[in-house]
Amino acid sequence: MTATPSSIVEECHASSELPIRADLTAAHAHVWEKLAAPGTWWNSSERLAIAEIVGAALDDPDPIPPWESASSSGRVASNALLSSELQDAVYRLAVHAGTLTEEWYSKMRDATGITPQQWVEVIEVAISVASVFRFSQLAGIERPAFPAAIKGDPSRQGQPSKPAKHHWVPVVHLEDMTPELAPFYDGLPALPPVIRALSSVPSAMDTLATLSSAQYIPTREMVDLNWTRGTLTRRQIEFVAGRLSAHRECFY
Amino acid sequence: MMLRASSSANDLQVDLSLVMGEAGENEAVEHALELADLVDTSVSDLGSLAAARSALVEATDSATMLDAAAVVANFEMMTRIADGTGTCHPSERLESMAEMTTSMGLDQFVSARS
Repeated sequence: MTATPSSIVEECHASSELPIRADLTAAHAHVWEKLAAPGTWWNSSERLAIAEIVGAALDDPDPIPPWESASSSGRVASNALLSSELQDAVYRLAVHAGTLTEEWYSKMRDATGITPQQWVEVIEVAISVASVFRFSQLAGIERPAFPAAIKGDPSRQGQPSKPAKHHWVPVVHLEDMTPELAPFYDGLPALPPVIRALSSVPSAMDTLATLSSAQYIPTREMVDLNWTRGTLTRRQIEFVAGRLSAHRECFY
Repeated sequence: MMLRASSSANDLQVDLSLVMGEAGENEAVEHALELADLVDTSVSDLGSLAAARSALVEATDSATMLDAAAVVANFEMMTRIADGTGTCHPSERLESMAEMTTSMGLDQFVSARS
């Protein structure tokens, strides 16, 4: 019997015999299901090709400098589904995200011909892989294998995204909320820019919300500065978050 | 920064240099040393990651270690979202953070967009 994307994750977590929270296992299983399926702008084979590059980049023991080409230096396996320029962009996003600039983004889009929404979906794939792989590595458990692709076409469902003041990519402003974004926007007076960043692709918002709730803090608990699951205190959570972000040289 | 906010909410002082420099025991952040070692080794010394993981489990428990691993995974996500989309803070927030970002050298990051 073929393993399902969920079962691949569930088996890795269960075989560790560690007390991994059920909601965390469910969140990682959810994004693995999505990874195998057609997305909004990329089909599943393309999504998995992006995922393979992210995985290779995260595994690279001696990453090439940000200005070098990963595809021409043999750091990523040859893949006809993605242009070499896009492969280079995915590699750089995976290992050198802190070096990206608006000029780089503009040149990358010219070179690859991708839309901002396609780039947002690339980021969604990258964060799925980075979350699942890095958790496995830190926890010391077996890493889930990539799932098999599920055939089908991307939904190509657009959103009323507009140029944004605080992002390179367009976003959907609160007043333009659509039914697809309601689960993430409803009842909130404002959204932090980093949460709104993926709003042109609601499925990417779903990935962010699912992972963030299980890995960090549920969105609606964010205002509680003493929130805890009974393990880490809020201060310990923020300390770990800040230290990792500093290592990644992420100003935001 | 949420570490500062969550400490202030409990009338605790936290030296924010703890986030970037040597981590020692701190009133505001219990087991800062073990938590920092887990993060640091996962980024730059994978050969020592297992020892850091064990030290954190010994100081706390497996569930706490797993939650710390999950927080790291989450910020591997958030940093790529912020830097991949060019997300920046609104100007009023940047102003309120200015002293901290300068003193910690965060304004020297390539990603310090405005």
